[in-house]
Amino acid sequence: MSSSAPRARSLAWALVGPTLALLIAFNVFPLLYNIASSFTNAELIGGEWRSVGGANYARVFEDELFAGALRRTALFVVCAVTLELLLGFALALSLHRGLPGKQVVLTILLVPMMLSPAVMGLYWNLVLNGNYGVVNQGLTALGFDPPQWLTDRDLKFWSILLIDVWMWTPFMMLIALAGLNAIPPSIYEAAQIDRARPWKVFTRITLPMCTPVLGLAVLFRATDALKQFDLVMAVTGPNDAATQTLSTLLYQVVFRDGSVGLGAAFSCVILVLVIALATVFTRYIDRLQSKDVTA
Amino acid sequence: MKWLRWLVVALYLLIATAPLAWMGLSSLKRRADTISPHAKVLPAAEAPSDPTSPRFEATLDAYRELNVVHAGAQQSFWRHLGSSVLIGLVSTLASVALGTCCAYGFSRFRVPGAKDWLFFVLSTRFLPPLAVVVPVLIMYRTLDLQGTHVGLIVLYTVFNLSLSVWLMKGFLDEIPRAFEEAALVDGYTRAQAFVRVVLPEARTGMAVTAVFCLISSWNEYGFAMTLNSSGAVTVPAYFAGLQGNIEGMPWPQIAAGALVFVAPIVLFTVLVRENLLRGMTFGTIKQ
Amino acid sequence: MRTNSWTLPALLALGLIACSGEASRESETKTADASATPSIKVWWFQWDPATGLQELGREFQAETGIAVEVQQIPLASYQEKVFLEFGGSRTNFDIVIGDSQWIGRGASGGLYVELTDWLPTVVDLATIHPRAAKYLCEYPEGSGRWYAAPCETDAVGLAYRKDWFEDPKERAAFQARYGRELAVPATYEEFRQVAEFFQRPDEKRYGCAMPSDRNYDGLTMGVQNLLWAFGGKWKDEDSNKVVGHLDTQGTADAIEFFKTLMKLGPKGCERLDYGQVLESFTNGSTAMILNYFAFFPGIHAQFGDKVGFAVVPSHEGRRVASLGGQGLSISAKIPKEQQERAKRFIAWFLQRSVQEKWITKPAGFTANAEILSSPDFRAKTPFNGPFADSVDAMRDFWNVPVFNKLLAATQRYVGMAVDGEMPTQEALQKLALEKERILKEAGLL
Repeated sequence: MSSSAPRARSLAWALVGPTLALLIAFNVFPLLYNIASSFTNAELIGGEWRSVGGANYARVFEDELFAGALRRTALFVVCAVTLELLLGFALALSLHRGLPGKQVVLTILLVPMMLSPAVMGLYWNLVLNGNYGVVNQGLTALGFDPPQWLTDRDLKFWSILLIDVWMWTPFMMLIALAGLNAIPPSIYEAAQIDRARPWKVFTRITLPMCTPVLGLAVLFRATDALKQFDLVMAVTGPNDAATQTLSTLLYQVVFRDGSVGLGAAFSCVILVLVIALATVFTRYIDRLQSKDVTA
Repeated sequence: MKWLRWLVVALYLLIATAPLAWMGLSSLKRRADTISPHAKVLPAAEAPSDPTSPRFEATLDAYRELNVVHAGAQQSFWRHLGSSVLIGLVSTLASVALGTCCAYGFSRFRVPGAKDWLFFVLSTRFLPPLAVVVPVLIMYRTLDLQGTHVGLIVLYTVFNLSLSVWLMKGFLDEIPRAFEEAALVDGYTRAQAFVRVVLPEARTGMAVTAVFCLISSWNEYGFAMTLNSSGAVTVPAYFAGLQGNIEGMPWPQIAAGALVFVAPIVLFTVLVRENLLRGMTFGTIKQ
Repeated sequence: MRTNSWTLPALLALGLIACSGEASRESETKTADASATPSIKVWWFQWDPATGLQELGREFQAETGIAVEVQQIPLASYQEKVFLEFGGSRTNFDIVIGDSQWIGRGASGGLYVELTDWLPTVVDLATIHPRAAKYLCEYPEGSGRWYAAPCETDAVGLAYRKDWFEDPKERAAFQARYGRELAVPATYEEFRQVAEFFQRPDEKRYGCAMPSDRNYDGLTMGVQNLLWAFGGKWKDEDSNKVVGHLDTQGTADAIEFFKTLMKLGPKGCERLDYGQVLESFTNGSTAMILNYFAFFPGIHAQFGDKVGFAVVPSHEGRRVASLGGQGLSISAKIPKEQQERAKRFIAWFLQRSVQEKWITKPAGFTANAEILSSPDFRAKTPFNGPFADSVDAMRDFWNVPVFNKLLAATQRYVGMAVDGEMPTQEALQKLALEKERILKEAGLL
């Protein structure tokens, strides 16, 4: 790219500038606003801000509510991602060596992850309803005493988790398939010559060679699951002690309680967590790209 | 082992599709049949005389009634779909345009700190919408953008930029530089080379990027429900807003509307299936 | 992938066609504004009384030329939407029919226009039922400072399946099992027995249902009927002290009893919003419900003589009904001339002649004490009598400015107690501390 360096540079900034400016405006301004209001008693309905010092942070760290939401979200992320990974990987292994109609099957399997979680979450309310939900009617017909998926205190969290698994297992499957496809067949042929047992082939070849992309998949899903909001809102609402996640608690605090200051303090704490996770994520992608295993 | 593989796939196929199939069935019912304590699974031409029968009278009323304004809403489903389409399309066009330019800049020029900038762009995607929504709300109140199409269009445009930049950078990197260099030698200006040579080559990439931007704004709920709860309401916020309706949820119309709403997404999934993974992973996996 | 480059423009075109409809509608409303038909917008949550108010609004328009639009919003998200509006510089509504408990937040936040000086010039305050005035209109309670005019007066009552209660076979079976006659329950213990008697999941027939939803205020409104009857309290009578008043045996007994009732209803009945409680009755599966009177006209229209209505049960002679109902408040964040129009509507609405019409509308219930006590009113429908009696027994939850925070905490902790996630006593102790913290933070304690 030869033309004179200063011109090229200004052209480059003209190209990337607007995007970066927009991203900064919509991310940095909120960040500063959150930091500023987190030390005040700001309310959603307006009025004067008054400084409250670190009181909001003290509450975030002391009140069981916030720790509870954090624990629950962590549990959600770990369980959802693990289940999705296992199921997705099993599916990928089943599909990978070609079944008749693979393309069609694959496309159908992928549909759930493209749908709107808010709409589907709402719809699952009908499917899992205790009185007229088809799942329980089916279970009753089969002679079971069906559980109350959406109202039982021990179950509602897991019901939401299962809806998430229903939606996102295809994503894991897709990534796992990509990983499997990237393994050169020659390696398997060599293993066959060595008469390696199938289990050994799996643990020594398949699994390690898929790990990098699976790691990426886990990171993608983990950052999404961390934001879990739509499904909880649709199924139990934001004020249910058994299902409150970080985002829904934030909704409760800011939009129902109207405590913008407290919500901002909580946002800042979440932000630190997100930045930590994002750093891990970007390092990982960086490493993958430099090794070029993803190409 | 083949039967096991079949079994796994068949079982999961059932799990993946059954809820959608049930949605289709529900959309053919009347409301009473959707909340009947007796399972209604078989569509029939006419209503059965026995209320405990598994049959129900199939009807297309729910689809016809999509233009009805339900109790608790201010507009019909079609109006909300209109909002979704308008917001989705315009924000998609804007994100793809901005993202393509930005990606081109990163792809072909030496931007100081390019890598850091790119990771900054990506990291904006990790932020939970709820953590930034209040400042955005305050900003929108001042600019009078709350509850408008423009407000969500701008927001979704920005929200999708990370996806658009990363995907487009991948696609643009794959276009050999020699193409433009040849054009420059032929006397094209930079801008001409970009428009006449690079963009046509990047068409597929732009289409794929557009589809993913569209899907993400189509399905978005957190911003939509908080910023646009009383004007320019998109479909997810509209459906969710019917909850707590005293007359009960209009399930057949919700099922019918949801099917209409997801149909384009299913179509897109089929269209971009070869690039699905690439889109879902921001171009970090290129197959 | 070649198809893609065509699909997108095609879809774009289709989409734009679809949207042009909406765009033209938007420009329509704009021109409507420009032609300056004076109009006021009222927000209320979605239920029958709002439809009735809209009908009255048409008569108001015929008389005055001011159009009235009643916008109905589902209760689950009503509070958020209204207060989001109040956060802006101008609200979308001119009149908000806010839930009774919002009045503190509306009054002290400068969101509702104070009506103290104006209201007596258009209506004789003595005609407003004292409990409606106290809970729906004044802040602080009984202070004589008015921030709302009464619109809908409402209380929780009992609706039951008269046909089941009168079935000779059922009566005989009940007599044999409980040694007394099957009758409309007067006490909660009787209520429990009748619910237990009708609880037959195999026949898809259930005993009772009552509000228990966790989203807005369902559970709190459901529990507090029992809470006061069992001698429990939300707070001290004379101060805002909570600890030592809420975490008492009476409150705990009420919640424990509520839990036993939750086992005598349709599946999932520990989480029903008002609409779902109604639905469990109107689908013909449930013997008795506790719900707001405003829903009963609809039930009566559907079932006719098959249903009966009564006041809520009592316990050891104490009978208290959760107050419902809302007042009309004028937004402080609208232009002066709109406020004047809103006042005209309220003045018109409060006239005796209009109130007489109001009670004929679907589920319109008046706060006019003269109408309430007239024999005519009581005789008009099977639910009017019990309603008039309930008005004398109704009480409300907190209505201080931090009501929303107190409610959210109550919903959460009582919810945990009802679900068995936390022992009732412990949940009440934590709730009491949490409430005192909220009150202290707001300078109310």
